[in-house]
Amino acid sequence: MKEIIISELTQALQDLARGFAHYLPRIAVMLIIAFIGWVIAYLLKLIVRNILRLSRFSKLSENAGASELLHQAALPSTTELASRFTFWVAWVGFILLGISVLGIVGLEDYTSRFFLFLPRLFVAIVILFFGSLASSFFSRAALLAAVNANFRSARLLSLAVRIIISVFVLSMVFEVLGVAEETLLIAFGTGFGALMLALAIAFGLGGKDLAKEFLEKKFATSRREEKEDELSPL
Amino acid sequence: MPFKRDTGWYKDAIIYQVHVRTFFDSNADGIGDFRGLTQKLDYVQSLGVDAIWLMPFFPSPLRDDGYDISDYRSVHQRYGTLDDFKKFLSSAHDRGIRVIIELVANHTSDQHPWFQESRSSRDNPKRDWYVWSDTDTRYRGTRIIFLDTEMSNWAWDPISKAYYWHRFFSHQPDLNFDNPVVREEMWNVMKFWLELGVDGFRLDAVPYLIEREGTSCENLPETHEIIRELRKKADEQFPGTMLLAEANQWPSDLRPYFGNGDEFHMAFHFPLMPRMFMALRLEDRKPITEILQQTPAIPPSCQWCLFLRNHDELTLEMVTDIERDYMYDIYASDKTMRLNLGIRRRLAPLLDNDRRRIELMNGMLMSMPGTPIIYYGDEIGMGDNIYLGDRNGVRTPMQWSGESNGGFSTADPESLYSPPILNPVYGYQAVNVLSQERFDHSLLSWMKQLMRNRQSSQVFGSGSIEFLYPANHRVLAYIRQLGRETVLVVNNVSSSAQAVELDLRRYKGNILIEMFGRNIFPRIGDLPYLLTMGPYQFFWFRLRRI
Amino acid sequence: MAEESLLTDEFLRQLINVGEVDILVGLPTHNNSKTLPPVLQAIQAGLLKCFPRERAVIVNADGGSQDGTPKLVTGVSIDDVWSASKVYTLRTLPAISTEYARVPDHGLALRTILAAADLVRARACIVISPDSTTIEPNWIQRLVHPIYTENIDLVSPLYRRPKFEGVLMRNLLYPMTRSVFGSSVHEPYASEFSISGRLATDFLGKDSWNEEWGKLGPEISLTVTAITGKYRLFQAFLGNKAPVHRSAQDLVQAMRRTVGPLFASMDHDFTFWSTTSSAAPSSPDADPAEMSEESVRINRKQLHETFAHGVSQLEPVFRSILSSETISEIQRIAALDLAEFRYSDEAWARTVFEFAASFHKSVINRDHVIQALVPLYRGRALSFMLENRERSAAEIDKNVESLCLEFERLKPYLLEVWDGRK
Repeated sequence: MKEIIISELTQALQDLARGFAHYLPRIAVMLIIAFIGWVIAYLLKLIVRNILRLSRFSKLSENAGASELLHQAALPSTTELASRFTFWVAWVGFILLGISVLGIVGLEDYTSRFFLFLPRLFVAIVILFFGSLASSFFSRAALLAAVNANFRSARLLSLAVRIIISVFVLSMVFEVLGVAEETLLIAFGTGFGALMLALAIAFGLGGKDLAKEFLEKKFATSRREEKEDELSPL
Repeated sequence: MPFKRDTGWYKDAIIYQVHVRTFFDSNADGIGDFRGLTQKLDYVQSLGVDAIWLMPFFPSPLRDDGYDISDYRSVHQRYGTLDDFKKFLSSAHDRGIRVIIELVANHTSDQHPWFQESRSSRDNPKRDWYVWSDTDTRYRGTRIIFLDTEMSNWAWDPISKAYYWHRFFSHQPDLNFDNPVVREEMWNVMKFWLELGVDGFRLDAVPYLIEREGTSCENLPETHEIIRELRKKADEQFPGTMLLAEANQWPSDLRPYFGNGDEFHMAFHFPLMPRMFMALRLEDRKPITEILQQTPAIPPSCQWCLFLRNHDELTLEMVTDIERDYMYDIYASDKTMRLNLGIRRRLAPLLDNDRRRIELMNGMLMSMPGTPIIYYGDEIGMGDNIYLGDRNGVRTPMQWSGESNGGFSTADPESLYSPPILNPVYGYQAVNVLSQERFDHSLLSWMKQLMRNRQSSQVFGSGSIEFLYPANHRVLAYIRQLGRETVLVVNNVSSSAQAVELDLRRYKGNILIEMFGRNIFPRIGDLPYLLTMGPYQFFWFRLRRI
Repeated sequence: MAEESLLTDEFLRQLINVGEVDILVGLPTHNNSKTLPPVLQAIQAGLLKCFPRERAVIVNADGGSQDGTPKLVTGVSIDDVWSASKVYTLRTLPAISTEYARVPDHGLALRTILAAADLVRARACIVISPDSTTIEPNWIQRLVHPIYTENIDLVSPLYRRPKFEGVLMRNLLYPMTRSVFGSSVHEPYASEFSISGRLATDFLGKDSWNEEWGKLGPEISLTVTAITGKYRLFQAFLGNKAPVHRSAQDLVQAMRRTVGPLFASMDHDFTFWSTTSSAAPSSPDADPAEMSEESVRINRKQLHETFAHGVSQLEPVFRSILSSETISEIQRIAALDLAEFRYSDEAWARTVFEFAASFHKSVINRDHVIQALVPLYRGRALSFMLENRERSAAEIDKNVESLCLEFERLKPYLLEVWDGRK
């Protein structure tokens, strides 16, 4: 009995050592790949950072309102964030590549899925970025136009514009990422439709006085009080 | 050899205006004469002109260059004798050149025997031959023509102790044409010369023949009656006689002088002339087209007389104040050049001796509807002398050669009736017939070519005119047409090159043949006809459909 | 090249026919048939009376009028097709028209006129607004004469105005032009002005035509070009300025066409204005006569509310543009009652300078910067009108002068905020 156990143990140890010896080079390769990956990722980070600085990316993201958001969340600047993100994505990619060298079944599948996911992630980030840029721009534009047109609820309008665009952008992001696509599509459609209906009812019934006032301002030809706007500023 | 009495000869003629005194001196007395003029008829013939218009040569005290006549039936002794005149007339006719003489009908010299008699007493039979008055208040408001020298149209006669009427100088009393005897006598004078063989008369100062209270004393109906009377007699007894009116009036006021073809045959188009000069400096055809648009149609047998310059000042009576100011500023900045609401300069000096402008102006003169008159010396580009009094600066001796006195006379230079032009630009050594006859490209040669081109077609004298109004207002373009013959004339009145598009669709299919070089130009199609023209360039195109 | 596409073949043909001119009168139009006839008459009379010998042309640049405006212009030409009813002239007076676009474009209209002036080598180019119903024939003489006799390159107008017309001009454009560029041009944005052929040619070749703000407000760019390019400027008193009725949205547009290009010009010409000292007080050829005292009812309450509303609603936007001190100041002003309402000269100058700096740095979209200034301008306008309600024209002028001096005094502050030192 004892000999069997010892024999089995020895066999197991031998198997382990054999397995270990079999995987050790692969681990070494993996580590080397990881190390090289780190170097490359670091270089990429520097390159991305310089490119973004040259193209004034931080200014653009400031316009988008992203800078402020990040600042409030005590996160670094967009340039730094983007370059760090690049670093991590690259390095994780290399690490996964290294892991795939190990030949662990199942992990390879995840590795390839990760690499296939990367482009979609990139597109989603781009959509998110430009979407927030657009939402910031248009909400501000709406705010300014409303204020200059003496519209009472200018901020509300601006917020509504921002929300609508943000929701739209987020829907697109999730769709690109493939996360709960159908759910989001339906939710978005329903929500958007409901919002429009609500606005129509609100404007038609609740805001009929406002509408009347608006129309009167636009089309009334009867006597109006002389307003400062009718004086030529130039 | 008397001409066949061609009654319409003047319509296609070119007339050469000359003063016998200025042309050629045959007897070395310093004054041109008829013998001299006769000697130079070959030259006149070589020009290609059809008639000579002689300025006054009757006996006269010469206080108005012969327009103050003291004898209507003779020749001033300085110019020769009546026989000399007859020989001249005969020689001219032999060369196919007609002769038109001046008849100053409106007034005489105060030295004329008629006036001497008239003033001698109130009972004299010729008293009523002039217009007398005890006061100078009659015909108040009548304009004074010689503004620079006369203060009134009445002059006091100390002999007669009365005022006499004079529209011109005070030594030129007006004849009284209300007197039938005067009219009869004037006809007799005309008859005298017609019997000698003269081909026509330029009647000086015709608007002023008759005076009436409360009028401008110009262009009155009675004046026309007199003209019709004279015309009728001339037609009956001397068919082919041409009567030319000198009346400085607006075209609409001139029209009556043609009557229904029963008054004057021709009249000077005075208002056109200053406008040609104006258009040139404005670089805008507008002054020309405007005045011609306002020019009324005249009877088919009648003709306008066109000219650029003559023996008088370039008159600015028939222009607006703004136009007159412009002309003075541009053409007579030196006030010495100004006289009697006009400019006393010759053609070449007015155009700064610019050959291109001289050619253009002559080209327009020869191509517009009317009979052109060339003032002696302008064909060689003679200059003027503004320091001679009155209008004598444009009446200097003809320049024949570079010899002494310009070849005009062998007399002592000091004895000439007028000093010749001596400056290096216009002086006789630089500008003379002899040197210009030698060269094909001289102004004289060019003028001869121009006149030949004009005479190559009757369209210029007798044809209709239709203005084209291209959008480029610096280009004056018109169509002359007579029967089936059509000529297109295009003039660039500006100092810079121009592009012009002409609407010639009506003449589609015609080929343009340029009349000077006889080269073909492209056929007229549907598109506007594009021409590019150099500064002051002009074209005459004959339209041909082949 | 852009200039070549400006001129249609037909317009080019018309210009060929016009040839070289001495005076070109440019009329940018769009559906102005109601106001145009007296303007055309005055132009024609002015040319014929004051410059009868000069070669002149009237050039209409039309932005797709549907009411027959171009025909009105071309109908005023005097050519040689003689008619008894025509005015007598020495020369042909051509009047030509071109449709530069189907919709009105201010910059393109002016550019077309300048291109025409350049091609026909006009000695003087006048631009007249088709709405100037108060124009008189002698305006032509006053605009052209300095170019002719004193080699002036830009003749800027001076008007007699109702008291509270031109508030933007007097509270912003004039003080800014004066303090920044060192020039006392009262009307840097003018609807009537004249320029020499030389300046027209030079300005036509500028890059600003291809830039967004240059295209929107070429008049301002022109004035700044004249100032910075060392051209000779002159101000000529013309007469009464025609009142033009506008709606609220026009103020935004007006500011886009004036303040925007002015700020953009500051970008281009920093080297010039950063070293320019203040201008001497203006001495035009004639002092404008007393402004008319016609009473204009101003809805002060509405203006006040608009200002306060704007300040509160646009606070997030202002945070990107203004300093915190200035924001506090305008919030304080917005809280004031109407009776005590005052937007001081200093506060206003700082506001404008900070806006100019933010525009330069593009902290947000530049058009948004301009729009954000509108409610603040309304507040300043209200303060100006309240302060000067009972004042005479001379006193108002003095107040405007003080405002200008305040702008000049604060110029160092502008330089600080411009390059981000603050």
